[in-house]
Amino acid sequence: MLSRGSMKDVIDVMQLQQSKGREFPPVKYKDRINNFTGARFIFECGLKLNAQPLTIASAAVLFHRFFREADMNLYDPYLFGATALYLAGKSKDDPLKLRDVMNVSHNTLNRNAPPLELNSDYWNLRDSIVQAELLLMRMLRFEVTPEYPHKYMFHYLKSLQGWFEADQWRRIPLAKASIAFLQDFHLDSAVLDYSPQHVALACIGLALQCYGVTVPLTNECDGPFWYSVFAEDLNKDKMWEIMEKIMAVYDKETEVPT
Amino acid sequence: MEDRLRRYEKIEFLGEGQFATVYKARDTHSDNIVAVKKIKIGSRADAKDGIHRTALREIKLLQELHHQNIIGLLDVFGHMSNVSLVFDFMDYDMEVVIKDTSIVLSPANIKSYMLQTLQGLEYLHNNWILHRDLKPNNLLVNSEGILKIGDFGLAKFFGSPNRVYTHQVVTRWYRAPELLYGARMYGTSVDIWALGCILAELLLRVPFLPGETDLDQLTRIFSVMGTPTEESWPGLTLLQDYIQFKPMPSQPLRHIFSAAGDDLLHLISSLLTVNPLGRCTCEQALQMEYFSNKPAPTPGPQLPLPSSINRKQEERPSLKRKLLDAVDGGSLAKKLIF
Repeated sequence: MLSRGSMKDVIDVMQLQQSKGREFPPVKYKDRINNFTGARFIFECGLKLNAQPLTIASAAVLFHRFFREADMNLYDPYLFGATALYLAGKSKDDPLKLRDVMNVSHNTLNRNAPPLELNSDYWNLRDSIVQAELLLMRMLRFEVTPEYPHKYMFHYLKSLQGWFEADQWRRIPLAKASIAFLQDFHLDSAVLDYSPQHVALACIGLALQCYGVTVPLTNECDGPFWYSVFAEDLNKDKMWEIMEKIMAVYDKETEVPT
Repeated sequence: MEDRLRRYEKIEFLGEGQFATVYKARDTHSDNIVAVKKIKIGSRADAKDGIHRTALREIKLLQELHHQNIIGLLDVFGHMSNVSLVFDFMDYDMEVVIKDTSIVLSPANIKSYMLQTLQGLEYLHNNWILHRDLKPNNLLVNSEGILKIGDFGLAKFFGSPNRVYTHQVVTRWYRAPELLYGARMYGTSVDIWALGCILAELLLRVPFLPGETDLDQLTRIFSVMGTPTEESWPGLTLLQDYIQFKPMPSQPLRHIFSAAGDDLLHLISSLLTVNPLGRCTCEQALQMEYFSNKPAPTPGPQLPLPSSINRKQEERPSLKRKLLDAVDGGSLAKKLIF
């Protein structure tokens, strides 16, 4: 339920992000292996490879889905992270070169290492990714293009825009914050637990809270709420549950080994 | 997975392309005949790139598409280091029909093919999918006369009588003028143009605009439809590869398609409008009088069968002979069927 406590959390997160500024110390991925570091690895490699945000989000979804089925002690999460990124690039028509993916992921795991030489190690790694791709697809039963919250978010924001003065909409980076929350939420496998519509609405809801702006039907006790028109089956508890999970991502970010 | 491998019993080899091998097989669960397309993965030792993008695109698009006139992807499975796609088995394609001189295509037959193609394409377009490679050999028909649009710019026909039919050449003849002018942004109108070329080919029984180069293709288009101008096609001169052609008048379509009635000529001219924005949509085409006028489209089972299929059916008991024929390049059509 809505409480002062959770409101405070939201603002703290924003301050935390701002105080951190743009400086992110390099993560030592090999020191901790879990879903979060795996997805964080995909994000870092994806950014370095200039992949589209949707490609990165898609790779993270493939990765989380795979490790819902597979044991992380048996399959190297970073090999599968790189593979998910490569596969997402292909399926999203944002192709990444396999050699680039290999070099970037190798260098991200082993900071300052020289580029991979074209020796048998290189070919073995390349072969591993090709085989991992096949395994990944088979584990996911070839369902490699799930529905993404992104497209819903776009339309929801477009609809909400009508409640704002043009000037206010320009001044408050509501869309930017929503999309940032959405992208970051893909670091957590919890993103799989909710429908794309609900995830999109929770990100927008969190952005509204952060900037303290309201649209009609924000403070009602028991609905309908502003989001009811977009998703009838989304209640207040669920909404806050997802928003709290999104915020939790930023706590997890502070725990990665650097 | 082992189970899936055994589920499909190989009957015969159908064809081979750059990225795939296709077999005719029996689905032992349902006893249906299917086409199994085995995608080669990393077969080229110099560039192991994993599953090919075109195959991935096929999987992800066809998984979501279900329509009577779209090829059905029935199953996907992996075994060892390859991926196999299981499709509806289709007996022949429209290229076989067009080239089979023993077949007489009645106006009702042509209407049936066009109706089915347009319904499939309308479904694709309604789902925001452009086919981008429509041509007679991507329109597949089964023995019940159901036409399905297949994709597969991937698979080249095995044992094709002449190698001239490379992917580019075949495709060029069905390319819309905006593509030839290098348009980067285009829409459903490119498929509509290709459909217009296919309709013309059904009537003429030879390719309508068989250009030998991209420039020749444009020349052929304009010599029939007339050279477009900024007035008839606003924005034309801004296209990336625009070149000025000498003004040519359009020819009356009724001279080219002398057997076609007014309703059919109207459909042809709407499909082959040079300005992409003036071209009709599938929905508009389906609303045209041609489809409600007589004669009614031929019911599927009554559509003509290519002679190669007829012969095949007579020979059915002797499977072994058929395989032998296929090996030494016998008279049977070894068409890649889907």
